[in-house]
Amino acid sequence: MRNRRDIFKFAGGAVAGAFFTPAPWRLLTDTALWSENWPGIPRPARGEISSKFTNCALCPAGCAVRARCVGDQPVSLAGVGGGLCPFGLTAHHLPYHPARLRKGPVQEATAAVFQSASQRAPNAIAVLDLNPGRTVSWTYRRAMASLKGLYLAPESHPVAYDLSAARTILSIGAPLLHGWGTPANVLAARPNFRLIQAEAVESRTAMLADEWIRIAPGTESAFAQSIPSLAYAKGIDLVLGDAPEIPEINRQLGAFGKTVFARPEAPVPESWIKNAADITELAAVPDHSISLLLIDESSAVSYIPWHRIQRKLVRENPLVVTFAVTRGGYARYAQYALPTAVYPELLDDIAPAVDCIHPTFRIAAPLVSSPKGLVNPADFVSALAGLSASNSLRERADAIRQAGLGAVFTYADAKQTPLKDLTADAFWKSLNEGARWDRPPGLSTLARPSATSRAPEPPESSSDLPLVAIREPYTPALVSPLMTKLYQESGLLLAPNRVALHPADARASGVTNGARAMLQTHLGKCAVEVTVDPAVPPGAVQVGSSPGIQDVCGLSSRAKVVSL
Amino acid sequence: MTLRGTIVFAAGVLVALGAGWAGFPRVIYKTYTQPVDFSHQVHADKAGSKCDDCHAFRADGSFAGVPTLDKCAGCHAAAMGSTVAEKNFIDRYVTPGREPQWLVYARQPENVYFSHITHVKRGNLKCEQCHGAQGTSNTLPPYQQDRISGYSRDIWGHAGRPAMTMDACVACHRQSHLEHSCLDCHK
Repeated sequence: MRNRRDIFKFAGGAVAGAFFTPAPWRLLTDTALWSENWPGIPRPARGEISSKFTNCALCPAGCAVRARCVGDQPVSLAGVGGGLCPFGLTAHHLPYHPARLRKGPVQEATAAVFQSASQRAPNAIAVLDLNPGRTVSWTYRRAMASLKGLYLAPESHPVAYDLSAARTILSIGAPLLHGWGTPANVLAARPNFRLIQAEAVESRTAMLADEWIRIAPGTESAFAQSIPSLAYAKGIDLVLGDAPEIPEINRQLGAFGKTVFARPEAPVPESWIKNAADITELAAVPDHSISLLLIDESSAVSYIPWHRIQRKLVRENPLVVTFAVTRGGYARYAQYALPTAVYPELLDDIAPAVDCIHPTFRIAAPLVSSPKGLVNPADFVSALAGLSASNSLRERADAIRQAGLGAVFTYADAKQTPLKDLTADAFWKSLNEGARWDRPPGLSTLARPSATSRAPEPPESSSDLPLVAIREPYTPALVSPLMTKLYQESGLLLAPNRVALHPADARASGVTNGARAMLQTHLGKCAVEVTVDPAVPPGAVQVGSSPGIQDVCGLSSRAKVVSL
Repeated sequence: MTLRGTIVFAAGVLVALGAGWAGFPRVIYKTYTQPVDFSHQVHADKAGSKCDDCHAFRADGSFAGVPTLDKCAGCHAAAMGSTVAEKNFIDRYVTPGREPQWLVYARQPENVYFSHITHVKRGNLKCEQCHGAQGTSNTLPPYQQDRISGYSRDIWGHAGRPAMTMDACVACHRQSHLEHSCLDCHK
């Protein structure tokens, strides 16, 4: 090549020739494939594909779960013999949640708790269990009996409802068809009962009910008082809801012993029953009497607003320690927040469900190993009382096995085996593989519940708080980040940190859809995001279930939304 | 263009063709040898093994893929023949209980779900239709990994093997009137 023109001709020839080789086409494809594997793009683990069975521990429904695993890593969860809710479907993300509590001052907290426990007065130490009815609850009760402390739970006499025996159900705001009980049980019983939903908003249950009675927001108690005449006219034989009058109404309707029973528990060792503290409701505790409070919110299924708890703490230097999976709950107020395992890392049994009138026993077996540095609340509390409770689940399984009643249902092969045909080891093994023990109807003794009506809350003044708060059902403290897509794009669920307003109320409050605002009640205020929704009745504000919102909103609170 | 210009242009074309067909594959692919010099032919002829004797389906229908050392050690706990390859395999892997790190020519992207049992049992596909004459080969070919994409060269169809690309899958599904939806393969 002698001149510049030759170089260009050669280059032109090379370019033309290159198009007849695999090089450019290969590079195009390879670059596209390379971009699919950039760092940060999640890649499932490689390994043997297998199925494991467990039970969902996010709520007492305890739905059976089949986990598809690659190697030891669960990559998808699905329901067995029924579906899973969106929270349960995405629960295998929870161990990796960015808001998950992973570290805590464990040694410092242990020293402080042991010191405080040694200096306390009688009944000044308490455990608040936000998911009562589990085996660990019995550990807390035994520990508190030993320490002469209090075992606190949201309800002292929980009841169970037999939907299959009901013919007409009146639900006052209970989310019966969208997250109230075990979905499979509710759907199985649904064809046999007529549902009247009394609610201020057209919830999903209201949409699916046979009749929706639209009541004014905040008038649930007043409506409940009118039920006896309504019940006669409509043939109602069971009433569900949160209004404090409802247990007494059910008793008057004759539902006790027919459709309402004391919530049954699976057998426990006799020695536990003899040495367990009573279940005490928080309201029954004298004000300013607790100096050391241990809160187990690791698998909470309800939330008690902080002001109700705070009222029970001594005025000077109370010590509050919470066992939590996130900083969003009581960790905001406690001196120490200790990290715990989260489903599906934890080994725990499932508390009895609200719609199951016969004893069952199921275990949430770990699908993944938990990181180091976590605290087991049961071990912590039992160590404080000098008890050994590390093997309590197995002890309880043995107690059930000794009773020899009922049968074990294994999901892997859909077989039911009489318990008496299994050895103790085989029973324990099957429980750890997701099996469910049931004591069938013929073998159960159903206990009538005791009516525990609470005093209705006095209506609040409406002078400067023009809106009535309508609460959404409680959601787990930690949910998959994928749920934000559901919240944002479907409109089916109100995100925990959101409030929804009627357009007229939004205009009056000076807020727009998507705006940040302040929710204000007589208890305080909380930063929220606003959804403007014409389905919300005028004069009401539908509030999400975040702990921050629940701390400022009681049942039928009055509120206002202030633009930021 | 003058004759001289044509020659220069043609030289450019030839250089590009040479570089593209001969030089480019050497640059783009990184070559690895398999950990064991394995002969499918010997196993098929002398031991009478069929494909699914080693590449088996489990009881739940999932495909076991490349057999694990346990399966190999079932026959080769001690040497059965006198080949160097077998002796090396026993010394390096069977005796110390070390799993060979086989390189899988057919490895697919993570976003693809492929069910062997559906294709073999319901589609009645023969192993050779996708894997070529691998089952009768005397040696394992070198594993050529694309330096950019990370996939095996064999995915694209190479040295007499059929392609295992999405286009190849779609073409076969289309031919069999089984072209239903993206979600058949992409989960």
